[in-house]
Amino acid sequence: MRDLNTPKANTWCPGCGNFGILNSFKSSVAKLVETGIDVDDIVITCGIGCHGKIFDYLNLSGMYCLHGRALATAQGIKLANPDLKVICFGGDGDSLGEGLEHTLFTAKRNMDITLILHNNGTYGLTTGQFSPLSQKGYQGLSTPRGSIETPFRPIPLLLEAGATFLARAYSARPEQLSATIVKAVQHKGFSFVEVLQPCVSYNNSYQYYNRMVKELETIPDKPDQAFKLATDPEAVYLGVFYQESKSVFHEELYKSRNPFRDRLPSSQRILL
Amino acid sequence: MTERTFTALVGGKAGEGVKKAAQVIAGVFCSRGLHACQDDDYQSLIKGGHNFSIVTAGDSEIYCVQQNWDLLICFDQRSVDEHVSRLRDGGLLYYNSDEANCEHGCGLPMNALMKKHYHGPANVSMAAVAILAAVTQMSKDMLGELIVNQYKREISENIAYAYDIYDLVEQRVDLLSWDAAPLASRFISGNQAIILGAWKAGLDMYYGYPMTPASSLLHYAALKQDSLAIQAIHAESELAAVNMALGSALAGCRVAVGSSGGGFALMQEAFSAAGMVEAPLLCILSSRPGPATGVSTYTAQEDLWFSLFQGHGEFNRIVATPDSVSRALGLSAELLSLAWEFQVPAILLTEKLLSEGMTDLRYSDESLPEADPHGGQPGSAYKRYSDTESGVSPLLFPGSQSSPEAVIKWSTHEHLESGLRTDKADEIVYMKDKRQKKAAGIEAACSRYQTFSEYGDGETIIFAYGSTVLELREAMKYCPESFRIVAPIYLEPFPEGLAKFRGVSAIVVEHSSTDQFARFLQWKLDIKVHTAIRKYDGRAFDPNDLAKQIVGAINA
Repeated sequence: MRDLNTPKANTWCPGCGNFGILNSFKSSVAKLVETGIDVDDIVITCGIGCHGKIFDYLNLSGMYCLHGRALATAQGIKLANPDLKVICFGGDGDSLGEGLEHTLFTAKRNMDITLILHNNGTYGLTTGQFSPLSQKGYQGLSTPRGSIETPFRPIPLLLEAGATFLARAYSARPEQLSATIVKAVQHKGFSFVEVLQPCVSYNNSYQYYNRMVKELETIPDKPDQAFKLATDPEAVYLGVFYQESKSVFHEELYKSRNPFRDRLPSSQRILL
Repeated sequence: MTERTFTALVGGKAGEGVKKAAQVIAGVFCSRGLHACQDDDYQSLIKGGHNFSIVTAGDSEIYCVQQNWDLLICFDQRSVDEHVSRLRDGGLLYYNSDEANCEHGCGLPMNALMKKHYHGPANVSMAAVAILAAVTQMSKDMLGELIVNQYKREISENIAYAYDIYDLVEQRVDLLSWDAAPLASRFISGNQAIILGAWKAGLDMYYGYPMTPASSLLHYAALKQDSLAIQAIHAESELAAVNMALGSALAGCRVAVGSSGGGFALMQEAFSAAGMVEAPLLCILSSRPGPATGVSTYTAQEDLWFSLFQGHGEFNRIVATPDSVSRALGLSAELLSLAWEFQVPAILLTEKLLSEGMTDLRYSDESLPEADPHGGQPGSAYKRYSDTESGVSPLLFPGSQSSPEAVIKWSTHEHLESGLRTDKADEIVYMKDKRQKKAAGIEAACSRYQTFSEYGDGETIIFAYGSTVLELREAMKYCPESFRIVAPIYLEPFPEGLAKFRGVSAIVVEHSSTDQFARFLQWKLDIKVHTAIRKYDGRAFDPNDLAKQIVGAINA
């Protein structure tokens, strides 16, 4: 097994929820490799923000993308070579603000890609402005009187958009998080993992989540149940909310063809 | 002048098949060995309005259509009113007498005959095909065969209708005596040529979002996806299209994106990203009048500086512009090849006039280059951005089959050779210098190809680029004054060979209201602009009008 560490010094704040995500992801990769996935076939993308730094802390191929475009680039990678396991890391600003369109369309297409959403409810790296997932009333540099917007609810949003695997995990529950990532990557289709990730500097939600989280006992088998549990005001549920088997985009498009592997050689590119 | 040409205009409403009829007519000319050109004039609407298509055919190469008609076919009154004044002396006019009146010409009851023959959807454009067939002395059998080959639906009704129209046409034009030999050619648009050229060089995937006049790049790639084994993806936006393309390039596929100015503006940030991650990316920018939404379906050259300075930050790029449809094919292959050789973004700049204009194209593919990466050694020592003498780093694609143990990290942040991010002063300089080293190689590599063209041999020098060169070459046929057209094909890097024109006094012709090209030439060559001939109404020049303007300029 390859050493997944890189020489890059870690610059997340001490206590940042991202450490839990990084460590859990590494153990997920180890488990995936045990199940027969070649580590050379794993390709990662990320956006810009605190979450994106994970790219430099993982000794894996991929692209540190433009802000908001990590899922668009991830789709391009998958469409060129469907043999690759493409995993995208996104922040709430990246995946639900600047790049919302790509998130919805990746789900709509049921692209065989995994999105790990680092939900810290704030824009950490740009010093704590409100995010698409910040609670109403959130005070940041751009909203000194408190945000007047209602936050998105990511799981219902992506359920409606067409994601076929939806789960929630918590960075402070590494085993559940790691196991959820494994299931998400193994799922064929668009898998979405919302990771609750406290930001110690601007949105320290450890106490709140420690009090509120509860693990789902079973996977709901109907979308409306998933919706209800994902939006329960009494508890923040962790686990898989919904999973469905549905045709994936690249197979509808190509059947078994792989544009990279099966490139038309120049000898067959003849004009007229 | 010894040039013999024949120009036909078909006019009617959107949805009546005007463009298709004109294509069939142009095909008839080409099948007789004539050269032909077609230009379609339409607006952003689907039914109604006024559309017209012009076809000019001749026994020597035709560069752009004429604006005086030998044959005018009108399906409605508006077509008669708009175009009858430019009917040549002795030209033929046929109009739909159920919709229009005219003092001269010949009215045909097109609607009444449609009622007679069609039970379902009727096709008035068949009348245009029948008129052309009769006028040019095709037999009825040949007309029937043409319809069978060109139209998929209502074939028997179409033929019956066309035959009735054919029988009503009495005038004849003697095109058969023209000394034309059958030529192996196909009648294609500039956008089709661009896709074909890139495909020849290795294009695997085309990403786009519809925007006239670039949409037909996407349509053609989609149409040919099986026969060319090419994948066309209509993304959710231009932002998606170009960022997807970056991903596909990372994974090893030869990719292109295209749009017009507005969509290209949306792609700017990713264009910069291509510079930073060193992605080989072919971009096609097909201009229409701007700014903003501008004029959707007409031609312009307002994006010259925009293309030269596309994206923020400093990085290498290649920009070039084709001066003919056949050049578009070759240039598209060259640019894809150069993009891969140097891992840089390249822009093929063109305009609606060339993108959507159709012409008979003769080409051979023997000398077109291929787009191949500068490969590297797989293994754990691989570094995506390792420094080399040329500045071009070896390129591998992820996957256990293609690059075992290699970790291939592309980054939009400034980075180390490994692809890991850096903020350190000396490391920033190191990587910027590595990228910048490519400039010399790019310049040398571009000079393998024809970087500018010259036509004619007069004392007077006229600078132009892109499809304006076609208008000038057509005008040259009708101009009593001789002149030499000088046209850069490569714009960035600027062709060294043009240095011989440094400081000259010249006429500059362009479709811009702010002399973008003239100012560009002043910057690069310090030329003296003798006269600037500008056209910025979205329309093409009429070759005869342009010839008159040139005479005026020379004698001014």
